[in-house]
Amino acid sequence: MVRTSPMASRRRAVVSETRHLLFTVTPGAFWIFIFLVLPSAYLMGVAFMTNGPYGLPQMPLSLDSFERLAGVGFLGWSPGNLYTLLRSLWQTLVSTVLVVIIAYPVAYYITTCREKWRPILLLLVVVPSWTNQVIRAFGWMNLLAPGTPLSSLAESLGLVAPNMGLYPSNFAVTLGLVYNFLPFMVLPLYAAFEKLDTAQVQAAQDLYASPVRAFWHAVFPQTLPGLLAGTVLVAIPAFGMYVIPELLGGGKGMMLGNLVANQFSGSSNWPLGAAGAILMLIATFIGLFAMRRIGKRLGGGEEVVI
Amino acid sequence: MRKRTLARGLAGIWWGTLFFLYVPLFVIVLFSFNSANSTAVFENFSLAWYRRLFDNEQIINAFGNSLVLAVSSSIIALVIGCLIGYGMYRHRHRKLGWLIALIYLPIVLPDIVFGISEMAFFVQIHAWTGLLEPGLGTMIIAHVTFQIPFVALIVYSRFVGLDPTLFEAAKDLYASPIKRVVHFMVPTIKPALISAFFLSFTLSIDDFVISFFTAGPESATLPIYIWSAIKKGVTPEINAIATLMIGAVAMAAIFSMLFNRQGRR
Repeated sequence: MVRTSPMASRRRAVVSETRHLLFTVTPGAFWIFIFLVLPSAYLMGVAFMTNGPYGLPQMPLSLDSFERLAGVGFLGWSPGNLYTLLRSLWQTLVSTVLVVIIAYPVAYYITTCREKWRPILLLLVVVPSWTNQVIRAFGWMNLLAPGTPLSSLAESLGLVAPNMGLYPSNFAVTLGLVYNFLPFMVLPLYAAFEKLDTAQVQAAQDLYASPVRAFWHAVFPQTLPGLLAGTVLVAIPAFGMYVIPELLGGGKGMMLGNLVANQFSGSSNWPLGAAGAILMLIATFIGLFAMRRIGKRLGGGEEVVI
Repeated sequence: MRKRTLARGLAGIWWGTLFFLYVPLFVIVLFSFNSANSTAVFENFSLAWYRRLFDNEQIINAFGNSLVLAVSSSIIALVIGCLIGYGMYRHRHRKLGWLIALIYLPIVLPDIVFGISEMAFFVQIHAWTGLLEPGLGTMIIAHVTFQIPFVALIVYSRFVGLDPTLFEAAKDLYASPIKRVVHFMVPTIKPALISAFFLSFTLSIDDFVISFFTAGPESATLPIYIWSAIKKGVTPEINAIATLMIGAVAMAAIFSMLFNRQGRR
């Protein structure tokens, strides 16, 4: 007769738990590893290879693609890529600020409505973003093209040159980005406003704080977690946007995403595109990290969930 | 007095924003019924563009591709994601940081980097082995990759919300693990399974960038078809397909509104 010691049975339990962990987690972990981690690692490797005759990567390893990305070409240095990078940063900044300015009153307005209506109002804000982004950009192409009422109005006001229309332009890209990302800011801000402690606002008003000061000292700090979450949801995807600048921006409205994508189609240069992708990843992770730090410092210990 | 102007200002901003959000969609719907080949001037009401739409075999194919892609990727992602979600719950006391990082990777990676790295990888593997030829297969792989995290997180949070003693009870009730899964696990997490499936489905239908880069010559989905049609030149025919897609979204919105109401009662 075999007697199992408590030790052995505990060991057996650990083994079976580990087997369970492997059984449940392995398929998915493997899937993501093979179909995302390996491809990303491959792309990083490509960035350090040389551009071959058909735009495909070749040995030997070099930093050529990073030099090209910085603007060094056959004909000396050109600022084109640098402009694209700066434009991406600028568009991200402007559209995020505009989204915040619009989303604050909208989110607050929803909380002032009757509770019964709130889910429906939120739904009304979100529904347009359920349609495909290509279709939404196409809607703006229809609206801003030369000859449309909006373009004619802008022309008669002297805002754009005659017969040019509002699209393609940098303005159209900003508009498209704001349109695309507005719901992502309204939702977290609404969640923050709904939890708002109105006693603080009341106290500020009782102390004769001006509305601006009352907002700044009593309301704003309480909505900060929502604002940060919204900024992450808006700014990071906006920086890597491909569809909107491609459709609404034209050649002069190109952003980093288009620069990267173009290297894998038409004017092929895989290593250059891969270097651009690395730049985008670095920016993304710096952005995420910065938001976490800010959230931790300003959130007063309250972890901002990202 | 001041309060009233503030309230009015807020309402004004709200209606202005709604107008801003719906005007592009409204214009698409309006011009899909335009008899003239123009997106600037509306002439007469006509269904001509819809008629052309249903004769266009490419569009029908693209629609079929979209559906096949969404359904098959959602089913695969549901199975794999559920397993991870349960594993994460059952072993939540272990140090699983690497797993969490792996699961968040598809979410935080910018679409364009996601799509391009998969495309580059598939092309290279295809050159070496002849496997993974660009087409519906590679698209399904890519979609499953970005759907898994969402399924896993939904299922995980459902398990976290359950009373842990339920698991003990189930262990006492059903001797075999398979019975436990069939009679206890699946029924209890059914709402999570349903919402995970629909979320995966919508993510797949809505995706353009990742599909675009992993597609083959004959596996265009509806958004890819619309994209290439726009690139060739804007026609009211695009308005007609877009209107049908907007209609589908509107139906989904109405359903979710009714569902919401029922849930409250």
